[in-house]
Order: sequence, then structure tokens, then C-alpha cells
Amino acid sequence: MTVLADSTSSSPLHFAQYFLDHSSEDLRLLWSHTWLSVVPVVIGLLIALPLGWTARRYRWTYPPIISITGLLYTIPSIALFVMVPPLLGLDTLDPLQVPIALTVYSVALLVRVVADGLASVPEDTVQAATALGFRPVERFFKVELPIAVPVIAAGLRVAVVSNVSIVAVAGTIGLSNLGQLFTQGFQLSTPDAYYPPIVLGIVLCVLLAVVLDLAVVGLNRLLTPWRRAVPS
Amino acid sequence: MTSRILASGAAAAVLALGVTACGSDSSDDTTTGGSSSAGGATIASKFIFGGAAEFKTRGDGLDGLKRNYGVEFGKFRVTDTGGPVTVNALKNGQVDAANVFSTDPAIKANGFVILADPKSNFAAQNVVPIITKSKASDGVKTTLDGISAKLTTAGLSDLVSKVQVDKEDPDAVAKGWLSQNGLSSAGTAAKGVKLTVGSANFPENVVLAEIYAEALKAQGASIKTKLNIGSREKYYPALKSGSLDLFPEYSGTILTYLDKKATASKPDDVYTALQAALPSNLTALNKSDAQDSDTVVVTKATADKFGLKTIADLAKPAE
Amino acid sequence: MIADVVTWLTDSSHWTDTKFDTGIWTQLLAHLKFVGIALAIALLIALPLGLFIGHTRRWGWLVAGANALRALPTVGVLVLLTVIISPHFQGRTDTGFLIPTEIVLVLLAVPPILSNTYAGVQNVEPGIRDAAFGMGMTGPQVLLRVEFPISLPLIFSGVRSATLQLIATATVASYLPLGGLGRFIYDGLAQQDYPQMIGGGVLVAALALLTDLVLATIQRYVVSRGITRRFSSKQAVPDSRIAAVHETDGAHA
Repeated sequence: MTVLADSTSSSPLHFAQYFLDHSSEDLRLLWSHTWLSVVPVVIGLLIALPLGWTARRYRWTYPPIISITGLLYTIPSIALFVMVPPLLGLDTLDPLQVPIALTVYSVALLVRVVADGLASVPEDTVQAATALGFRPVERFFKVELPIAVPVIAAGLRVAVVSNVSIVAVAGTIGLSNLGQLFTQGFQLSTPDAYYPPIVLGIVLCVLLAVVLDLAVVGLNRLLTPWRRAVPS
Repeated sequence: MTSRILASGAAAAVLALGVTACGSDSSDDTTTGGSSSAGGATIASKFIFGGAAEFKTRGDGLDGLKRNYGVEFGKFRVTDTGGPVTVNALKNGQVDAANVFSTDPAIKANGFVILADPKSNFAAQNVVPIITKSKASDGVKTTLDGISAKLTTAGLSDLVSKVQVDKEDPDAVAKGWLSQNGLSSAGTAAKGVKLTVGSANFPENVVLAEIYAEALKAQGASIKTKLNIGSREKYYPALKSGSLDLFPEYSGTILTYLDKKATASKPDDVYTALQAALPSNLTALNKSDAQDSDTVVVTKATADKFGLKTIADLAKPAE
Repeated sequence: MIADVVTWLTDSSHWTDTKFDTGIWTQLLAHLKFVGIALAIALLIALPLGLFIGHTRRWGWLVAGANALRALPTVGVLVLLTVIISPHFQGRTDTGFLIPTEIVLVLLAVPPILSNTYAGVQNVEPGIRDAAFGMGMTGPQVLLRVEFPISLPLIFSGVRSATLQLIATATVASYLPLGGLGRFIYDGLAQQDYPQMIGGGVLVAALALLTDLVLATIQRYVVSRGITRRFSSKQAVPDSRIAAVHETDGAHA
């Protein structure tokens, strides 16, 4: 019933052609998706560091900090996206709603990571550093934090990879990112399935997740040169 | 039949209420809905109606159907805004009647039947640009009026079909339409104007927004687009607050959205009422002749089985 | 705003079905159904597989492969599967939407359960394992009577995080559109009915919390005390690898 030209074939394998036909639009979506996946994690880490440190330094704060941040994590992302604008008095279409919501998730995830990462620093190492004359703040940045890097990096990997998926959810409520490829494909799937934008969106999301994951792994290696000296 | 009803309704709004073919197969299992209302079993009471969530709360939605025709459906199922979910639900028999737009190529493709709306529950739905007053310079007005003058209902259906059926890009379709209608020549009429054009989340509205955007761009305006935003309930606040400046609207639905008690149904009356109902910072430019109405549609089989021609027929007793 | 949400939640008419609106109780049940089915299937797949891989130390790449599934965008896979599957179901049925939803949810729940089960069994001290074999236990006996109970805390942690993700992600089913608590969020959004929308979000969060509490209670009774002392959450985790496993609980959508 539908006569399709070659360039508009609905075969799933035509996602590459679809990309070439719409490259400027798709690259724009990819760029905003990347930005939305990375920035909240960076900001989230900056907020989680002092919180995680507090939870570790003052043990009685650990249970409340961890359970409150854990509570934030149970709010479904779609609900958080739509709750942010009215709660903060933003415009309903304010592009900041997604990064703000994702920052909340990143903090929720990373606080425990930071606290547990700091906990993984052997007690004798901390004591040795103290004995060498490190003051608490100096000791934190020069000894404890570097040693906790592998654990924090493991948490960061989870955070960036899951952010890529959560950002796509925001596409279903009309925000501009790769998730829009899914809604577009869904909308055009009548009377027959139209796969290219859907498949393209999945491919780009996976590629983005893999690249970001590798970036964190690389950063981890860069920051922990001593781990390469010792065969594990 | 579809086209006849469409033509007869051209003066007023056409409400396409579609009834699907499969509804007849499953009408036996519709026990959930019927008989709960004291009035006995009407045809509608055996039906599940599919439409966007906002159809439940809109003035011309379920309330309007009840008020104007005494039609009360057995159940309501949330689908989407006249999109693939609604169409497939009707086609596959998950719903028996649905809210679909009259320009939707799926109506013809699936042989859906549009139920006539003699009482104009759905007011006239002329495509009309709603714009922030301060951005409506003479150049912008001339450009958009030029578009409205050339837009027809048939042309609109054609645009939707290009995007929906042929899977062409909305912006390419928009550019093609502009050049076809001699509206694509470059100029400086809108030079220096900065506008953000928005659209709702269905293909036709996106194409219309692209047409506005491309034409204004060609006239030197600096344009940003925010397309596929969502339902009117979602984008209208942004339009009102000024974070969007220009939106392709449908005169009747935006009027009922602004004024639930609005009674105007003829195109000119609706347009006049709309201008009055808009907040002071917004204005409606010239309306086009092109209409895209909400409609109630059913499948051919359902229409035949129950002898449905108008929405009012749904209120008849079921045998 | 908060008062409006409370009003919405406490209005008894919102809890029961009316003619055109499905009530909270019905949607809650639908939500639990999505989650329950997916969790059961995920457990059936991931638990035996994790135990087997951890015990035999073979097919470790499967765990890495399952973890790679986390990179899949949930909504994208959901839309793709829906477009493929739903046209095959006609009539008054949601099966065409339910199957894609459950597949997506299972894909989401398998990685945390699998990797935690695997890590739990693998982290059993070699000495304990050797002692069990020394006592004459067979391989399956060692797995079921020694390795499995010892790894229960980590397995539970995987199941709990999987459940949290399922409860949060089952909301996306409403985009298709199916029922579930996500209905209130998407409908509230479309109708710009913020109390309904936020109320829906609150209900999902509350459900997640309650469920986690229930699972924590079950865990307390199921896991041997001798083991909980060793893995108590209040104790600093000594091995960074275990800590890392705990953290991979996070994926969320």
C-alpha cells in the first residue's frame, strides 16, 4: 500500500542511510545527548565528594546520608523530570530540567560510591599518612581520594552509562535528545513499522555509552599509575 | 463516504470519530463498559473509546460528546494524540471508536469511517498562526499571511501523507510546499526578527511549524525551533510566557482550551471568539482555509454493523 | 503545590476505578504485575546462570556480556519491540504491549542479579570451598549448601537493586500506552495536572521504598546470621572488588 523510495526504506538496516540523510539533525541530538549524559555526572561527583567524605568521616552520618540519597534514587526519572520545573519555578520547557534531575541521580548514586571508596582505603595507609605529617584535608586529596579512585571510577561508569539510557526517557516528553529518534520512529510506524530512526537511536545510544565508559576507564588508568606497576 | 462527510462538514468543523472493523469481532467481550449507566445499553456504552489523556478533560472531549449528543462511552482508553497508537488500537480492536484528526492518511488507508458532527461538538479547526504580539512585525505578518492564503484542507492532507506515509522529512516537505506555492523566494521582510517556533507532537503540526520557520528564515528572520513538544496543555504555558513566539494552531481547539464555555462553531465566529479569548500578549494572524478537525472515527465493519453515520447514532440503543 | 499533591493522593475517588479513570489500586496492581513477572523471569535466568558461572569459573564472558546490556537505551528497545510485536495481536488484548514491556524489564533486571550472584559465589573463600570438598561434598552440594548460602547477601543486594530499577522503569510502559502507575505521570503531563503527575511519582517512589523494606526483611530472615556478621553493611568493606560489585547496583532508567 505504501510505495517507498530507496532512501526512505523502512528496513532496520537502513539506519546508516537515515543518519546520512539527516546527519545535521542527528548530530545535534547526539551532541545534546552527550552533554546531558556527562555534565550531570561531573556536577554530581563534585557534590558527592564532600557528602561521601562526611559520611565516612563522621560515621553516624553514614546511615542518614545513604538512605536519603538512596531514597532520591527510587523516584522514577520521568517523574523527576516533570517535577523539577514546578518545584524550582522553571518554565515547563526549560532545558535545565533534565540536567538538574540527572544531577540528583548522580549524587544519589555517587555518595555511596565515594563513601565506600574511601572506606576501601586501608586504615594503616591513613595512619601512615597521618604519621608522615599530612593534615586531614591534604591527606584526603593526596592519599585517600587517589586510592579510592578505582572504586569511584566503577561508580562513575555505572552513572554515565545509565544516564545515557535515562536521557533517552526525556525524549518521550518532548525534550531534544536521541530519545526523539524513538518517538519519531514510533510516530511514523503507521500503517507499517518504520525502523531506521529507532535503530539509529539505539545504535547511537550504545556507541555513546561505550565511548563514555571507555573514557572513564581511561581516566581511571591515568589517575592510578601505581596500579599498572603491580601485576594484579 | 469519508470524503462526502468531510465535504459536508467543511463549513463547520468535522469531527471524525472512527469506528474500526475489528470492533465487531470483540463487541461481545465489552461487558466491562455497558449497562453500568442507568440509561440502559446504548451503542456507545458497549464501546471503548481511544484518545489522548487530555481528551478526558477537554471541553470538547468526553464532556462535549455527552453534552451535545448524549453519547457516553463504556470505557476510555488512553492512547496518543491521533497518532500510531490510536490508529493501531482502532485497527486491532483494542478500542471501538477513537479520536483521530481528519487529515490523517490512516483514515483512508484503513477504511475508517468518520462520524459526522452535525452539532459541531468540535468547533471549526482552521489552521491559524498564534504569535507573540511584539514579534508580529509587518514583514512577519505578510509572510505568514501568504502561507495561510495558500493552505487548503487537501493540501494539508497531502503534507501529512508525505511525512506519515512516504516518510519524508518535515523540513524537506515544508521547503517543497513553499517552493511549489511560490513562497520560497528570499527576501528581507522579516530581517532582524528573532522568533522561536514551536510545534505539538504530531507530524502535521511539525510540518506546519517548519513551513512557518522556513518561510521566515528565507525572509531574513533568525529562527529557533522547538518541535514535538507535546500536548497543548504542555506547550501553551510556554507560548503564553513568551519562551515560544509562534505556533501553528487550530482555531477551534485552542478556543475551547482557552474558554471551555465557548459556543462558536463556524470558522469566522470561532476566529473572532479566539482573538477575544487570547491573552493580551498573543494574537492570531489570518486563518487559513485548511481545516484539520478532531474527529470520532470507527472502522468500516463497526459502522456497518451498528449503522453508524453520525456521532449521535452512538447514543441509540444497542440491539 | 505539595498540598495539592496530598489532596490528590488522599482523594478517595482517585483510588478506585470510575467509568473513565482507572484508580490507583488497579494501576498499582498492574504495576506490580509488570514488575513481578519480569523479576520472576529474570531470577529464573540469572540465578542458575550466576551460580553456575561462579562455581565453575567458566563462561565468565556472559557476565560481562549481560553488563553490556545496561548500555541499551530502555525506551529505544521498548519502542522497537513494540513496533515489531504489537501488530501481531488483535482484539481486546494488551499482550502486544505487555510482551515488549516484559522483555525490556527482564533485560534490565538480569545484569544486576547475574553479576552479583556470580561475584557472590566467586568471592567465597577458597579455604571454605576446599574444606567442603574435603568433607566429601560433591560439586553440586558445595554449590547449594556452601557457596549459595554464603553468597546470599550479595545475591539479595542484586535482587533488591534489580527490583528498584524495575519499579522505576515499569513507568515507561505507560508510554506505549499500558496501565501501571506511570499512567498518572504521563496523563498528568498531557493534561498539565501537576498534582496527578507528581502524585504518580510519589506513589512509584513509595512503592519502591516499601518493596525494598519487604525484601530487606526477607533477607534478614533468610540469610544465616553467621554470614550477615561478616558482610554487615555497617562494617567497612575491606575488598575494593566487593565494594565495586555493590556499586554496580546503580543502573536506573
